[in-house]
Amino acid sequence: MIVLGLFTALFTIVIAGLGVTMSISARAGRINVIDCACLSWLFGSGIVSLLLWIGGMFCSGAVLQSAVTITCLALGVLGWRAKQRANASFTLPRPTDVVEWVLGGIVLAEIAVLLFVSFKHTLGWDGLLNWEIKARYAFLNGGVIPVSYYSSAGRAFSHPEYPLGIPFTELWLYLWMGEPHQFWAKIIFPLFYAACALLLALLVSRLSGKRWAGLLIAALLPFVPSITASLSGIVVGYVDVPLSVFYLAAVGYLLWWVRTNDSRLLMIFAACSALLPWIKSEGIILWAALVLLGLGLSFSKHRVAQFLISMGPGLSVIVGWRLYLKLVHVWPSSDFARPSLSLLRENAGRLHDIFRILFTELSETFHWSIFWLVAAVAVIYLIASRKLEKLVLAGAVVLPVIFYTLIYMFSTWPSYTAHMTSSVPRLLLHVMPAAWLAIGLALSQVKPQTERV
Amino acid sequence: MRLRLYLHFALWCALFAAFVWISAPIVGPAIMENRVGPIEANASIDTYLRALTGIEHGSERIPDIFRHLGKEGVLVIFVRDENAPSEFLGMLIGYVSWPREVRVIKATEATVEKEVADIKPGSVAGFVFCSVDSPNWLEKRVRLGSDIILVPVTEAAP
Repeated sequence: MIVLGLFTALFTIVIAGLGVTMSISARAGRINVIDCACLSWLFGSGIVSLLLWIGGMFCSGAVLQSAVTITCLALGVLGWRAKQRANASFTLPRPTDVVEWVLGGIVLAEIAVLLFVSFKHTLGWDGLLNWEIKARYAFLNGGVIPVSYYSSAGRAFSHPEYPLGIPFTELWLYLWMGEPHQFWAKIIFPLFYAACALLLALLVSRLSGKRWAGLLIAALLPFVPSITASLSGIVVGYVDVPLSVFYLAAVGYLLWWVRTNDSRLLMIFAACSALLPWIKSEGIILWAALVLLGLGLSFSKHRVAQFLISMGPGLSVIVGWRLYLKLVHVWPSSDFARPSLSLLRENAGRLHDIFRILFTELSETFHWSIFWLVAAVAVIYLIASRKLEKLVLAGAVVLPVIFYTLIYMFSTWPSYTAHMTSSVPRLLLHVMPAAWLAIGLALSQVKPQTERV
Repeated sequence: MRLRLYLHFALWCALFAAFVWISAPIVGPAIMENRVGPIEANASIDTYLRALTGIEHGSERIPDIFRHLGKEGVLVIFVRDENAPSEFLGMLIGYVSWPREVRVIKATEATVEKEVADIKPGSVAGFVFCSVDSPNWLEKRVRLGSDIILVPVTEAAP
């Protein structure tokens, strides 16, 4: 029964996401199956978690579960009808030569291995005490986190202010399984990895016009120790890899939109970027970086109005969650002070230490091998190309790293260096798939052949 | 032009080869370590509690013990300052004791007595000491496992 519940939960997540994806993509006439599968998972987890949060303000228990299930199925039906009306068909891009077959096989084998490996580990410290704890407490209270949790000083260690994207995806599994099952809940993380690898293959292929480059990059992805072997990778149930997948998708579809002027791609960008602050608080920084880069891109392409509209969903999520936290009197987070110019001036002396720690971490081979060296070479390639699109991609890698580094100017920990050392490896993970996208584009030099992908 | 292309691919081949060469010895053993399972609902928390305190099925046993404490009142959890395993254990106790209100206090051997003395007993259901020695004058100390001591202050009505 538990496994049946698990599959029902996963099925409803995918159906909800599939409905939204098909509604957006149907007008194109052709729906890429891989594209659709990845976006279905990303959108599905976002939709279900948002529905549980919003629905939980009005009802709980079986009513909440039924309402969310019906909404998921309704979204699926609406998407299917949109597909039928547009007479759209599914297409599966097939490898065309031996190299593509081999690389595609490696990517699928790696996904299978990581799916298996993730069940060999327990949830890590943050995975358990910052994220899963919210899912469990909500499950024990009929699918709604009790208001007393947010204001509890004693449980401030679990960061009640953190958003609910991943905990409520886990909660959805718990509600269907009928118990908070920590073993099976971990299945969502390799699914995010699968979406990451496949999206990376797809986006590099599309933007470079070379499918082998996309597949090669996706095949190299799990060799970054931080994603596979480190304490913050997918095997320990942290939200950093899921957040990085949303960021990768947002960056990729933003670039693809600029190249094609297809408004459906901007809708996908809007949805992916809106979910960034819903996955982790640092998602606001990634969202802000995307807004800056997107504004620059859209300004040069005279599409500012379109882009400004696409910021709406993200802004709604940020404001909505902040407002909710105020209403429930959340226990104030004590990790960072409110940013101000005077504090910035006061702590300017930290810059030296902060950048020293950053470079130490970037060159830590046990976490990254030489990934950041490869990424730096790619960024140099992209800057040297002097093409706006590639400059924006370089910015999408560099800007969040700079922002993340500078937030430690406002750290309230007794030792800001200890704060940074303990958290910056996880923050760098958020940018890692986007950096792979940059590597993929730098690797491929010839004229794009977009029609193949 | 062709030379440039060769140099380009040589550079990337070298970078990718070095990347995989350094990664493989780190990623490979990480993939091979551990075994799947046990397929249990509280697999993660029980594993940690077993490792830190020796208590089997701690996620069920510890809340069962806490049910004997008075229904009202805070559970005060003392953890050793600057000691990650102790702080982690304190948080695990906070996790499993839901929905009881908890208070986590970081203390050292030198300060723990004063910290306990400063707490108004009327507001407390019990004290839990995680890798911290409890003051000798506290009575009814119950050792739950290695490195964890419970001192009930109030008890549930029969």
